[in-house]
Amino acid sequence: MIQSIAQKEFVSTLRDRRFVVLSGLLLALLLAATLVGRASYHTLQQERMVAQQTVNDQFHHQPNRHPHRVAHYGSFAFRPRSGLSFLDAGLDSYTGASVYLEAHQQNSVNFSQAQQSGSLIRFGELTVAFVLQVLMPLLIVFLCFSAFTEERETGTLKLLLSQGVSMRQVAWGKIAGYGSAVALVVGPALALAAWLLFGEEEFAHNADVWARLALFGMSYAVYFFLWIVGAVVVSARQRHARSALVLLLSCWMLGCIILPKATANLGATLFPTITKAQMDADVHEAAQKGINGHDPQDQRSAVLKANLLKQYGVDSEEKLPVSVGGLVMAESEAYTSKVYQQHFAALTRTYERQNAISTWAGLLNPYQAIRPLSMGLAGSDFAHYVHFQQAAEAYRYQLVQRLNGLQASMGYGDKERKLDAATWQAIPTFAYQAPPVGWALGYLLLPALALLLWAVGLSWLGLKMIDKTSVV
Amino acid sequence: MTYLLEAKDLRKQYPDKLALCGLNLQIEAGEVFCLLGQNGAGKSTTINLFLGFIEPTAGAAYLNGLEVAANPLKIKQYLAYIPENVMLYPHLTGLENLALFSSLAGFSYKESELVAYLAQAGLPVEAVQRRVGSYSKGMRQKVGIAIAVAKHAKVLLLDEPTSGLDPKASNEFSELLRQLSQQGTAVFMATHDIFRAKEVGTRVGIMREGELVDVRPTATLNANELEQLYLTYMQ
Amino acid sequence: MKIFWILVQYEWRHFKAAKGLVVLTGLVLLVGLYGIYYGTTELDRQRRHLAELPGLAHHNVEELKTKFPEPGEAGEIGYYHSTFAVHHPLPWAGLSLGQRDVNPYYVKLRLLGLQGQLYAAENVNPTKMLSGNFDLAFVLVYLFPLLIIALCFNLLSSEREQGILPLLLAQPVSAGVVVGAKLAFRVGLVFGLAWLLSVVAMGWARVPLDGRVGLWLALVTLYCLFWFGVALLVTAWQRPSAFNAVALVGVWLVLLVLVPGLLNVYVAAARPVPQGIELTVKQREEIHGGWDKPKAETMNRFFALYPQWRDTATIKERFVWRWYYAFQHLGDQSVQPLAAAYTTGLRQRYELVEKLNWLSPAVSVQTSLNALAGTDLPTHLAFQQSVVRYHDALRAYYYPFLFNNTLFTHADYAREPTHTFTSTSETPTAVQGLWKLLISTGMVGAVGLLLFRARPVAPR
Repeated sequence: MIQSIAQKEFVSTLRDRRFVVLSGLLLALLLAATLVGRASYHTLQQERMVAQQTVNDQFHHQPNRHPHRVAHYGSFAFRPRSGLSFLDAGLDSYTGASVYLEAHQQNSVNFSQAQQSGSLIRFGELTVAFVLQVLMPLLIVFLCFSAFTEERETGTLKLLLSQGVSMRQVAWGKIAGYGSAVALVVGPALALAAWLLFGEEEFAHNADVWARLALFGMSYAVYFFLWIVGAVVVSARQRHARSALVLLLSCWMLGCIILPKATANLGATLFPTITKAQMDADVHEAAQKGINGHDPQDQRSAVLKANLLKQYGVDSEEKLPVSVGGLVMAESEAYTSKVYQQHFAALTRTYERQNAISTWAGLLNPYQAIRPLSMGLAGSDFAHYVHFQQAAEAYRYQLVQRLNGLQASMGYGDKERKLDAATWQAIPTFAYQAPPVGWALGYLLLPALALLLWAVGLSWLGLKMIDKTSVV
Repeated sequence: MTYLLEAKDLRKQYPDKLALCGLNLQIEAGEVFCLLGQNGAGKSTTINLFLGFIEPTAGAAYLNGLEVAANPLKIKQYLAYIPENVMLYPHLTGLENLALFSSLAGFSYKESELVAYLAQAGLPVEAVQRRVGSYSKGMRQKVGIAIAVAKHAKVLLLDEPTSGLDPKASNEFSELLRQLSQQGTAVFMATHDIFRAKEVGTRVGIMREGELVDVRPTATLNANELEQLYLTYMQ
Repeated sequence: MKIFWILVQYEWRHFKAAKGLVVLTGLVLLVGLYGIYYGTTELDRQRRHLAELPGLAHHNVEELKTKFPEPGEAGEIGYYHSTFAVHHPLPWAGLSLGQRDVNPYYVKLRLLGLQGQLYAAENVNPTKMLSGNFDLAFVLVYLFPLLIIALCFNLLSSEREQGILPLLLAQPVSAGVVVGAKLAFRVGLVFGLAWLLSVVAMGWARVPLDGRVGLWLALVTLYCLFWFGVALLVTAWQRPSAFNAVALVGVWLVLLVLVPGLLNVYVAAARPVPQGIELTVKQREEIHGGWDKPKAETMNRFFALYPQWRDTATIKERFVWRWYYAFQHLGDQSVQPLAAAYTTGLRQRYELVEKLNWLSPAVSVQTSLNALAGTDLPTHLAFQQSVVRYHDALRAYYYPFLFNNTLFTHADYAREPTHTFTSTSETPTAVQGLWKLLISTGMVGAVGLLLFRARPVAPR
């Protein structure tokens, strides 16, 4: 029964000129967005990889230098784009691309795409995720709003029910039929994406990327399912086709346009962010309590020196096997990094609290459930960005401490000496390892559950309501 | 003498169908002309042509001496129309709907006058201040009658006017038509109802597949004969 | 004329009866008020942060005074001293925040190489940046068209579908007058709402009363008129309500989502700006290379730019501050062409958008509103130019101390140059936007009217 209704819906949908036109447009958009996303990914990735290679080479080919000079020379970390970011750019355009890693200072990640564009970028970027999250539901609305109202108005509903089909079966049949039609539109785009990925050397055998792609597809399947169910239920409950349409469109506008902005802004109002200037000042203030490597009069350095003399049982600096300067630098770096990490963690927590409001809103608004899920799976969300920032900071810290260690091992009078150029070639450069999908799934539990709750809840509640609907 | 309603070789051709072929008709003041015919015969097309809602493919329709196609707005001052299914603004009351349509026709009546028109049309007094959304089909039709009467038009165009009325209301409506025709109004009525056509009409026309096949004064026929005539033509 | 006003009056009755529409209009009003609230509080927050900066700078000076109780070496003081270049907003920015949340509105400056400091990013939640600002401009550009669509999608089709149209058109009223009256009522309602919100916003933001008030109102009015024109066009097609709704939402999507998205892709491809990363890397290389180059070479290159300091003492020590600052500046000089190319590239991006935004009145009006409020890219570039000039002034202040070996006293802190920059309204851009809107609205309205005339309204 359900099968035949589904079949009928599928066939009549394909014959409907409106559907053909709209879905043709959407398919074209999806394919274009996939290709454009890929091209953009290549350009930006190339830019960043070339830059990273350049700075790595520059680091390795340094001349003879004092290690603290090298610590100030530092390096750069360029954020590579994740494999699936061509499908969902997420926050990539709003997060920086490069961060300068140097001693004593933690810098910001600069040169985001948004800062290099005018306000046009705020209209949204045409990515696959955008089309799937915002435009696809609109297609579903246009497809399904007359699902029941048309049958009711033409009288075919009574005919169906008199054949012994229940309302519930009619509803499931329609849901299945429309689902197949939607799959027809989305399928080719995802297939193209998979094919492009497979053609890429670095991703062809990367199980993590394939796992992410699979979960990506599944999440959207659930998302489309709940929209179809919702549209069919509304169509069944409304008297007229036009009121069903207006109701569904209002839900779409509220969910996809208004609520995301409102919750994001609400979050920012409730949990204000500290400015960089203030944070730098706070870090600086707290770091004053630590040791200062560049200040010869620093009292704590004097204490450290005294302790060292005692430790090695000598009475003057010349007799120490290690460079006091180096050890002081190491201490200083350890302390300032700790202070900075505390403040950075506080800042990140503030952002997370702001974002939590939007994520919890996912229980009210399926769009705000699929969006973080999609971004998280594509590797372009806030958590992945923080992961990069922390990886960059971790590299900076171990690089600087390694150089401080080298300085310490130079012994007394290190300031007059330099280390051989070959030393730098032995030091590993920054290589970012993107986190695996398992790590991402850990914090994506809430949006995933919200999505499933919506799907299950809508189905259960919706079909209960359909049972009670009047036929005439 | 100017006929109040006139059709000269009036013809309407659609891409897939000839709705009206060469209608010639003259209706004078005080006449009640009833047009009988099956569904799709061309009755509504004729009325729409007289209303100026559609344009003729050939020929012309005249209302009060003015060509309908050339004076679409002016002729509406002289006619009143009651459609088969009178639909009104559902959130306004019967009284408010009458007020609206009367003011659009150029009349400004006092409330008491409007209530009188509604009473004349047979609308129960307690329904007058109720929203039209709660009216039955018959009640809406009565408001439609009131709108037509309040317009004091020279020509009355009716499309199946008694189809939603019970026998008592139908009777009252026939009485009203008689009064109006006595006052000089020309009435053109498309209907299925052979009995009413004989009762209220001065002339009866039979339309079949877009063609006016016969016109007889009702005085010369009784109801049975009319029915026989009608069925003969419908073979 | 009398009939026209009768119809308009009854439109008010019909509107009141349509509960959904009344709720929607009320919602748009509330949402507009929220947008005003959000925009102005966001701007106030920025102003508060800017007001805190002198305090931080002062704190830094106090710290330095404690660290250097005696007159000290200018070079060493300059190394630790930080000051701020600030970008004050216009009051108009509260109505249209534009890029003010994405672009930093202050720069912390030290005497070191500028190009390493100029592009520092501010702490902003990237998720929030992605979502955008819920300011009055957003409500006007995105939500008002939706209100207009909801009001107009069944302009004629409601009466037709309810079956009232035959009776209505049997009265001596032309269909044109009926549609005209309906439109007039709706236009009045929407204009009233738009002007009310705009005036409330301008009052709350304490905007100076000048020509820009008229410009803002004109832009908003024309934009609403454009959408009414689109609704008229779709109505003239005389299709059922459902078709009209789909068509109008389709137009909304095309103008607010598709065209901007495609334009973004095109502009990014047509005007790439890779110079940002390039110049940062190159500047670092140049500056750090300075440590290893012979001092005479560095100083000669420096004196080529600043011949006035040529006669100061030659450098014999291993480290001297004026040499250090010399190669810092030379690092900036070496990337000058890249920096200029970067700025030019960004400007060209903006200009390309300006040239093409007639494709979507929504983009056009948004850029015009941002231009009026001084919150878009050109203002930020102007701010960055002012920062460059400020850095030059700072160096010019410190160089005498460095090259004449004068000691830096406590009194000298106060004499240091300070920076202030306020956004300016790019009125010509906004006026151009107004012309573009006028042409678009005129065209759409003309086509709508022609279509109306060509297809007489059939009651059936």
